[in-house]
Amino acid sequence: MFWKFVLRRIGQTVIVLICVSIIAFLLIHIAPGDPARIVLGDSATDEMVEAYREKLGLDQPLYVQYFKYIGGIFKGDLGTSTSYQQPVAKIIFSRFPNTILLTLATVLISLVISIPLGIIAGVHQGKAIDFFAMLFAILGQSMSTVWLGVLNIYIFAVKLKLLPTIGTGGLEYLILPAITLGYPISAQVTRLGRSGMIDVLREDYITATLAKGIPSSKVYTKYAFKNALIPIITIVGMQLGVFLGGAVVVETIFSWSGIGQLTNQAVGNRDYAMVQSLLLVIAAAMAIINLLVDIINAKIDPRITLQ
Amino acid sequence: MEKEKLLEIKNLKVKFTTERAVSYALNGVNLTIHKGESLGLVGESGAGKTTTALSVLQLISKNGQYTDGSILYNGKELMGSAEKEMLPIRGHKISMIFQNPLTSLNPVFTVGEQIGMVLRQHLGMNQKQALERAKELLETVGIAAYRVNDYPVQFSGGMRQRVGIAAGIACNPELLIADEPTTALDVTIQAQILELMKRLQKEYSTSLLMITHNLGIISELCEKVAVMYAGRIIEYGTVQEVFHHPMHPYTEGLLGALPSLDSDKSELTAIPGTIANASNLPDGCRFHPRCVSCREQCRKQQPAMVQINDDHYVECFAHEGGTV
Amino acid sequence: MDKKIILRRMRKSKFFMVGCTVVVLLVVMAIAAPYIVRFDPEANALAEKFIPPEGLTKGLDGHIFGTDQMGRDIFTRLLTGAGSSFIIAACVVVIASVIGTVLGLVSGYFGGAVDTIIMRTTEVFMSIPQIVLAIAIVAMIGSSMPNLILVLVLTSWTSYAKLTRNNVLVIKGQEFVSAAKVLGASKLRIIFRQVFPNVTTPLLIQISQQFGMTIMVEATLSFLNLGIQPPAPSWGNMIAGSRQYLTTAPWTVFAPGVALMITVLAFNFLGDGLRDVLDPKRT
Repeated sequence: MFWKFVLRRIGQTVIVLICVSIIAFLLIHIAPGDPARIVLGDSATDEMVEAYREKLGLDQPLYVQYFKYIGGIFKGDLGTSTSYQQPVAKIIFSRFPNTILLTLATVLISLVISIPLGIIAGVHQGKAIDFFAMLFAILGQSMSTVWLGVLNIYIFAVKLKLLPTIGTGGLEYLILPAITLGYPISAQVTRLGRSGMIDVLREDYITATLAKGIPSSKVYTKYAFKNALIPIITIVGMQLGVFLGGAVVVETIFSWSGIGQLTNQAVGNRDYAMVQSLLLVIAAAMAIINLLVDIINAKIDPRITLQ
Repeated sequence: MEKEKLLEIKNLKVKFTTERAVSYALNGVNLTIHKGESLGLVGESGAGKTTTALSVLQLISKNGQYTDGSILYNGKELMGSAEKEMLPIRGHKISMIFQNPLTSLNPVFTVGEQIGMVLRQHLGMNQKQALERAKELLETVGIAAYRVNDYPVQFSGGMRQRVGIAAGIACNPELLIADEPTTALDVTIQAQILELMKRLQKEYSTSLLMITHNLGIISELCEKVAVMYAGRIIEYGTVQEVFHHPMHPYTEGLLGALPSLDSDKSELTAIPGTIANASNLPDGCRFHPRCVSCREQCRKQQPAMVQINDDHYVECFAHEGGTV
Repeated sequence: MDKKIILRRMRKSKFFMVGCTVVVLLVVMAIAAPYIVRFDPEANALAEKFIPPEGLTKGLDGHIFGTDQMGRDIFTRLLTGAGSSFIIAACVVVIASVIGTVLGLVSGYFGGAVDTIIMRTTEVFMSIPQIVLAIAIVAMIGSSMPNLILVLVLTSWTSYAKLTRNNVLVIKGQEFVSAAKVLGASKLRIIFRQVFPNVTTPLLIQISQQFGMTIMVEATLSFLNLGIQPPAPSWGNMIAGSRQYLTTAPWTVFAPGVALMITVLAFNFLGDGLRDVLDPKRT
C-alpha cells in the first residue's frame, strides 16, 4: 500500500516536471524578438546567432525544438551563460550548495522555535502565552523579507554590531539570512500548530485518551502532537515554494552567493539561458521536496495510503 | 441486604457557557451505582447523559463548569480533585466506552498502541508486554490478534467499537461506563456488540453504567434503570418495576413510543413537544410543558423525589402520596 | 446568519476593528493622495536631500518623514506609491479570485478528468516559487503595470482554486446538496445556489489575506527592480534605492518598510477578524 502510494506520487512528480520543462521552454518564446538573439545577447555576431538558430532548430516545429531542448537537458546541457561565458549547468551547480546550506539553516531555526510555540499556544488557548504566540505569528506573516532583511541588518549589524552584515562565509554569515528567511515560516507554523492543536483537542479520541488515565502532558506532547503535525507538514510542504522564493531577496540583500542571488543577477544581466535553467532547476528541486514531504506525511498518517 | 455503594452522585449541577448562551446541562443529578450492578441511564439526546458520564471522570469540556454537587467513588470525593488523583482512576478503576467508534479512536496510532497505552500507564507493562496483552484482549472481543498493528481506518465501525471495548476492559475496571456504545452501528452489529458486553460483564463482574436512549438495550442488559430529563433523574428503580409500572408521565411516554412486536398495541403514542432547551429551562417541573397531566403546581414548583416502594422512586407531584 | 450576531461579533473582535479601521484609513489616504501631497513625488531636489523627519518639529508643514537621497519628500512618495500598489493588488485579487474560485468549483464539483487536469495544473504552478516565476516572466516580457498584474494573477490563482475545491468536496457530500439533486435542480443551479454560498466565508478570509500578500510580492518585485520602475515611487523600490544609506539616513528605508508592514498587518488583522466574525466554528 505504502509503496504503491510512493510510486503514484513519483509518477505525479514526473508529470509536474514535464509541465515545468514546457513552461521553461516556452519562456524564451514569450519574449518579444528572436529567441536566438535573446539567448545569445546583444554582443553576439550574426553568424553566432545563425549557428545557434541551427542548433536549436528554430525553423522546425515547436515540438521538435522542445525535444531537442529536453535531449540537451538529459545530456547536462543547459546552454551557455552570456554573462559568464560558461556552461549554465556548471555555474548553477557551483552555487547550489550555498542555497542548500541556507535552506537547511532556515528550516532548522524556524521549526525549533515555532513547533513548540504553536503547540503550547494551542494547549493554553486564551492565555498570555497564546497571545504572545499569535503576536509573533501575525507580525511574522506581515513582514516582507525585503523589510525584515533590512531591519535585521540595521539592528544586528549596524546598531548592535553583533554579526557581519553581508557576504558568504562561516556560520556567523548564515544567521541573519536564515532568520530573515525563516521568520515568515515560523509564523505560519506557529499558527498552524496552534490551530491544529485547538482542533485536535476537541476530538473525541483525545477525550477518550484522557479517559484512559493518560496524563494530559503526555496526551499533548505525544498523542495530540502527532495529529497536529499532519496539517503543519502538508501546508509547509505546499508553501515551501513561497518561502524559498524569498531566497532571491534574502541572498540579494545579504550577498549570499546561492542560486537566489544568481537568479536576480541573471535577470539584471539579461542572461536568459540562465533564467530559463534556474526556473527549471528550482522547480525541480521544489517538486522533489514536495515528494519527500508527502512521503513523510504518508508515513505519519496511515489514512493517506490506506483510504 | 443493602449492597455496597460504588459510585454516588449527589446533586450534581453542570453548566456550559458559550458565546450565545449559558446552558444548564445538569440540574441536580442524584444517582447511585452499587458494586456489581448494572444501571441503565435513559433519556432523549440532550438530557445530560454524556455530561453525567464525563463528570464522573472529571473530563467535561473546557467551557463547562461544575456548579454544585459531589461524586463519591468508594467514598472518595472525585469532584474538584487534582489530575494526579484522577489518573489512577481513569481507564483503570472507571473506564469509558464512547458513542462513536469512528471518532473515538485516534486515526494515526495503531489499535495495539491505543489498547497498550492503558496497560503501560496503569499496570506498568513495557511496550512488548502491552502489545502481547493487547493481542489477547483483541481475541477476547473477537478480533484476530494479528491485526494489532493495524490502524483504525482498516476496521469497520463495529470492529472499532470492539477495539474501544477491549481498551475499556483492559485493566479490569470496577465500573465500565458505556455511552451509547451501539447507537452509531448497524442493527445486526448492535446485537453482536451487546452480546459481547453482556458476556464480558458476567466474566469480569464489572459494574456497568449503560447510557442509551434504547429501552430494549436496558431491559436486555440492566437490573436498574434511571430515566433522565433536562439534567435531572426523574424516575429510578429496577427495570422490572419501572418498565412495567411507569409512574412519571415522561417514562410512560417513552414506553408508549416504543413499538412492540409481540403485543397487540396498535398505535404508538408520541410525546408531544420537544426536549427542554437547556439554555432556557421552564420553571417548576422541567417536563410540565409537554406533560399530559400537568397541574398548576407543576408550573411553579420543582417536585421532589418520592419513594414508591423499595425498588421504585419517582419525581412527580402526581405521586406525592407515595403510593398509587 | 443573523445580522445582529455578526454586528456584535464585529464589535467584539479586536482584530476586525483594528484591521478594518487601518485598511479604510489607508485606502482613503491613497485615494486622496493627489489632494494631500504638497511636493512632486518624482522631481529631484538635490539641495534638500537627506532631511531627517520633520513631522515632530514642524508638524504637517515640513517634510513629515524627511527626504531621500534625491531630496524627494518621503511622505509624498509613500502616498503616491500606496496608490499604485493598491490598484495593482485590487486588480490581482479580483481577477485571481474569480478565476481560481470558478476553477475550484468546477474541479471540486465535477471531479474526474476535469478535476485531475485542473489540480495537476495548480501543482505545476505551485511547484515554481511565486517570486521565481514572477521574476522569470517579468524578465521576459518586461515590467509594466499590466504585465505586473498578469504575473501576479498567474502566480496567485492557485491558492483560491485549491481552497475552493477542498471546501466543495466537503459540501458536496452533505445532505442538502443531495436533496437539491433529488429535487432535480440543474448542475449550474446547485453549484451557484447550494455550493457557492457555503464556500464564501473561507474565500473572503483568503481574499483579505491575499491582498496583503500581493502588496508584499509587488513590493518584492519592485525591490528587485522588476516591478514599478523608478523614478515612479513604490515602497519596494524606495527600500531598494535607499538601502545603501541605511547607516546614515535610516528613515529613508524605515518609512517605506514600516508602511509596508502596517499595511500587510492590517490586511492580516482583517482576515483574522473576518474569521472571528464569519466562521461560527471558531468561536
